[in-house]
Amino acid sequence: MNPRARIRRFIVETFFVDDFSDDESFLRSSIIDSLGMVELVAYLEKEFGIKITDAELIPDNLDSLARACAFVERKRRIRTSAA
Amino acid sequence: MCGIAGFTLPFGLLAEERRVRFGNRLCSMAASLRHRGPDAQRGLLLDGVALGHARLAIVDLVGGVQPMRDPVSGVTIVFNGEIFNYLELRERLASHRVFRTRSDTEVILACYLERGIDCVLDFIGQFAFAIHDPRTRALWLARDRVGILPLHYTRTNEGLAFASEAKALFAGGWRTPALDSRGVKQTLQLWSPVVPRTVFEGISQLGPGSVARWSDGHLETWRYWDPDFGVEPRAEVDPARAEEELGALLVDAVRLRLRADVPVAAYLSGGLDSSLLCSIAQSQLGGTLNTFSVGFADPGFDERAFQDEVSRRLATRHRSVLVSLRDIGELLPAVVRQAEQILLRSAPAPLFRLSRLVRACDTKVVLTGEGSDEIFLGYDLYRETRVRQFWARQPGSRFRPALLSRLYPYLPMSRQGRELLQQFFGIGLDDPKNPGFSHLPRWAASGRIVRFFSRGFAEEAAEEDPVASVLASLPARVRRWKPLARAQYLEMQTLLAGYLLGAQGDRMLMANSVEGRFPFLDHRLIEFAAALPERLKLRGLSEKWILKRLARRCVPATVLQREKYPYRAPAAGALTGLDAPGWARELLSREATRKVGVFDEEKVSRLVAKLSARPAPASEADSQALIAVATTQLLADQLLPPAPVPQRDVDAVELEAA
Repeated sequence: MNPRARIRRFIVETFFVDDFSDDESFLRSSIIDSLGMVELVAYLEKEFGIKITDAELIPDNLDSLARACAFVERKRRIRTSAA
Repeated sequence: MCGIAGFTLPFGLLAEERRVRFGNRLCSMAASLRHRGPDAQRGLLLDGVALGHARLAIVDLVGGVQPMRDPVSGVTIVFNGEIFNYLELRERLASHRVFRTRSDTEVILACYLERGIDCVLDFIGQFAFAIHDPRTRALWLARDRVGILPLHYTRTNEGLAFASEAKALFAGGWRTPALDSRGVKQTLQLWSPVVPRTVFEGISQLGPGSVARWSDGHLETWRYWDPDFGVEPRAEVDPARAEEELGALLVDAVRLRLRADVPVAAYLSGGLDSSLLCSIAQSQLGGTLNTFSVGFADPGFDERAFQDEVSRRLATRHRSVLVSLRDIGELLPAVVRQAEQILLRSAPAPLFRLSRLVRACDTKVVLTGEGSDEIFLGYDLYRETRVRQFWARQPGSRFRPALLSRLYPYLPMSRQGRELLQQFFGIGLDDPKNPGFSHLPRWAASGRIVRFFSRGFAEEAAEEDPVASVLASLPARVRRWKPLARAQYLEMQTLLAGYLLGAQGDRMLMANSVEGRFPFLDHRLIEFAAALPERLKLRGLSEKWILKRLARRCVPATVLQREKYPYRAPAAGALTGLDAPGWARELLSREATRKVGVFDEEKVSRLVAKLSARPAPASEADSQALIAVATTQLLADQLLPPAPVPQRDVDAVELEAA
């Protein structure tokens, strides 16, 4: 399963939503509340082996499925190129 | 306090016929309210109406028997509550009327005979009553200004039936209990159904500050009082002077509420409001005040250190009850049966336990601090609204929304990220004039519960949009008020009247036959506070400014300086941990969920599994969802068929057919 599908499945299972689009804001559409973001961050770190700094906890990185996928991709590329 | 019940019946029946056809219904209704009035239950069958009463004797222990009938006019009343200024009203009427009792009930009758239903405007009090007027064949229903006491009604083949609690309408056989899908959806998102709706099909509630007139087969309802937060603030207000006026009003509000022929005690939470009330009451009682409070083993919820400090300082006789997770789980079925509502938090359960302690100490009446946060802008919601309005004026500002992180110091924020928080609180930012602006983040959060609905229930309730419903219920003038005034109005209609005073207030007190009295909800105080400039209530982000100033003289500094701390109780852990009660396992099972049909069995079982497996505390969203599901399941289990309709103690009701 690709990262997008994995993250989507996590969100469906953890936050009990059925349907949402890739670009829908998690917070503004109440898919996830701000505390739920903590769960999402913990999942991304564990599932994709990345470390997310406090400075990276911004809507641009996390507040939709598309943004979260792009962010994870960026983080993994950085890790790979650093290795 | 007491319970009332009754119904209309055909005019012109013989007394014996009335007794045979309607006696049992009336007795069943009165008996089902026995917890509200254990001292006596009586029923009276008159021409055209049946009136029932369950009495908790507090004023005029001998003379205040109900139903009470005026011998000349035949006007008859059943009354639940207190008219605190009854002595003054009685004095005013004494020149042209002879009183037979010392009760406040007779004062209501006298006031009604003098000026009709407008008499409610003279009352300082908390009440729900029904008056039958044989001269006009009208049945009047009335409820106090802010909704401290409940009053429900339903249409029947014979006309109208009413009662303090819905269970009496079920006991009388007027309705078969069933859930109202719109009422359920509204309660889950707004914390309470929108008046006149309830969670039960066909059962309505009379709104706060309202009267209803039933005659000739028609029901007419209107508001006789509505809080006016749009009032133009007094122009020149000297803070010291205002503080003095506030002090005098509060002292008088407490003085009137200490009137009783039994001892009056007080709840002491350890916060500003109850500490201030206890201090005033203690000085009026000359040092004999008893105080009661709840403690929790979990330090995240416990306030005993503050309670102990205040009770020591005021030298009250203090008792507290320690409530565990296991207690909450075990109490919840009885809590829901009494509340007759779906809950989003477990906080009513400890208060159920507390009123049991009060009653066990032979106390029937307590003062309690509800209402202060609504009228003096104490809630975080108001501070949040102020910040969001400030931000909405310059949505691009980075500095303005940063103030949000100062609002909720007691929530675990460390890993939420300030900007993510802002994204959430930015809901509705583009429309600061929206009448629901203040409540949109809260309603967005609670509204997520609909994703747990079963497909069938979601379809049934699809037409209902709770936010649209509550906003449509706002009077036009409220829309023109300032944002904080609108927020106050919404808060009083939804959370205060529909939840804090009801499910968490009256119902939890009355479950153990204890009457609560609410000095901050004295309407003189509400009107005084509304006319104060905003800066004397919420100064910057400092809440209840003038009240804190007043309290400096008598409340310990540690209480004044502590961060605002809302009363909360542990929730999810009580239903999923090792100590989870048997009913939770049973009612949260797939089979039970499917049977009730409101929620999706698959999602509920995943939620339970998620919360059972996690070692960390549950998120607010998951916790709220679990309590909502569990209390919906309990409501169905306790009150819907095949649960038996209450039929205990019917023979104890004294019935008279006049």
